[in-house]
Amino acid sequence: MVDRDRFGLGWRPKLALGILSNLDRIDIVEVIADDFFRAPRRERRALRTLAAQTPITLHGVSLGLASSVAVETKRLEQMARLCGEVEPVSWSEHLAFVRGGGIEIGHLAAPPRSSATIDGAVANLRRARAIVGVAPQIENVATLIDPPGSDRDEATWVSEIIRHSESDLLLDLHNLHANALNFNFDPVDFISRIPPERISAIHLAGGKWIGRKGAQRLLDDHLHDVPDPVYELLEEVGARAPQALTVIIERDGNFPPIEWLIDELERARRAVARGRQRAAQKAIAA
Amino acid sequence: MNPFNLPGPQFLLLYIIFAGLVVLGLVVWRRRAELSEAPKIDLSDPYLIAYLRGGEAEVLRVASVSLIDRGLLLAVGTQIQRAEHASPDSVRRPIEQALLKKYARSGEVSWMFEDDGLKSACEPYGNTLKSAQLLPNETVSEARLTRLVIACMVLGGVAFTKVMIALSQGRTNVSFLIILMIAAIVVAAKLSFPRLTESGKAMIEDVQSLYSGLRDRAAFLTPGGAGIEPMMLAATFGVGALAGEGFAYARRLFPRAKKKANGWCSSNSGCGSACGSSCGSSCGGGGCGGGCGGCGG
Repeated sequence: MVDRDRFGLGWRPKLALGILSNLDRIDIVEVIADDFFRAPRRERRALRTLAAQTPITLHGVSLGLASSVAVETKRLEQMARLCGEVEPVSWSEHLAFVRGGGIEIGHLAAPPRSSATIDGAVANLRRARAIVGVAPQIENVATLIDPPGSDRDEATWVSEIIRHSESDLLLDLHNLHANALNFNFDPVDFISRIPPERISAIHLAGGKWIGRKGAQRLLDDHLHDVPDPVYELLEEVGARAPQALTVIIERDGNFPPIEWLIDELERARRAVARGRQRAAQKAIAA
Repeated sequence: MNPFNLPGPQFLLLYIIFAGLVVLGLVVWRRRAELSEAPKIDLSDPYLIAYLRGGEAEVLRVASVSLIDRGLLLAVGTQIQRAEHASPDSVRRPIEQALLKKYARSGEVSWMFEDDGLKSACEPYGNTLKSAQLLPNETVSEARLTRLVIACMVLGGVAFTKVMIALSQGRTNVSFLIILMIAAIVVAAKLSFPRLTESGKAMIEDVQSLYSGLRDRAAFLTPGGAGIEPMMLAATFGVGALAGEGFAYARRLFPRAKKKANGWCSSNSGCGSACGSSCGSSCGGGGCGGGCGGCGG
């Protein structure tokens, strides 16, 4: 359990020097776990060396937890082995399905929001907790289509999974922002319906509009700057969640100079601080 | 059967095998003793990394290239000279100040490797690495010596026993055994004192793995002192890894370093890097794919 907020970046080989040169301003690094499942011993050892320099959190992308199909034990064991080797401060996965009928779909797809997928996700999270030893943080995903077969909205679906599992939420605010714009709901209302004490981590990212006029969708592509409304949502979370948060900026390409990303981190720090201040003032007034 | 009763040639063969096992055991013992968890060091300091990889000479190479890249040193043929506008006070690091002082007048680049003042300017890097046990410090050196002494006693003890038995039986043809013993001790001594500890060797490989992205972009790095990337590339993989035309002077000034850097890549498959992204740059166009799970996460 961390006693202060942490702000960090996703580890990408192209950002390596920028990250390692700025560890006084980067509190934590998020590493894609799947890159190392079958990596040579040498690369896994390098990851341990990185973990000796800065706290690390592992982020999975291929378990497919939000599915009525059980996650393969082999995949959970790979995660367990990596966690054992690297000793991250936490690990996380998406509330998505990534395969079906033996076919890898190569995408973090939003499943139907139904009792069946809640039960499946909760069972998978229980197995993940048992095999890895620590429950993962679970991340809400962005989607360009409203998942067919859904009988409830996303906030209800995510809240129910959290309530029935030991996992805290890794709230991806750009995913939330994109879904809110694409499906016309209020993201602040979404945040207000999540138990604030169960939000432990935040993802920030950017995206771009795609599609023809009149049927446009905001795509979460991790290739653009974090937009202003996402910082406003971060402030909102800062005001509601009393516990320490881990905030990660994800950038997968079209890399700006590292100073730019550090500035985005500073903006994130300020947003959380504003939220904390708001909460404090509210408490005093009450 | 007592092996000491074996006839001379058979005993010699046995001794060669025995000595080989002792030397192998010595190496394994050293490696296990010196391999520990990676320490926390400044992985963004190119001179520290250069020192770890190649000692003072490598720091001097990287510092020279850095100063030339920043226009503070000028390279003409195999000679370098401080630029007119440059002054030792204009740089922060002692090694760079020392180089600018040394080359106030034009001189052969090779002179730097014989200059005690420049070597002593590199000392702090060595001390940092010794305290992190990536280079052998006093404790590590003592442990190495102790292990070597034990190996020598074992090798010498067996040879001495056989010599005594042979002499007591009136045979004096023991010179081959003595030569073998000396050879085994020399090999053991050579393998007992490598420049790096096992942790140091692992750290170099780890740093090269972490900075694999730099090597992938070597051809696109531009000269002109705008960023630290070329310096870190040279520190991590050798000056020869600076592939762009703008760094041709580096390969001309330090041809041996070029050879070494090329050798590294050819002997290691890990020149590339893993996926490194939850999304991948392929996500830019509206669709996501690839084995990394795609975007939306």
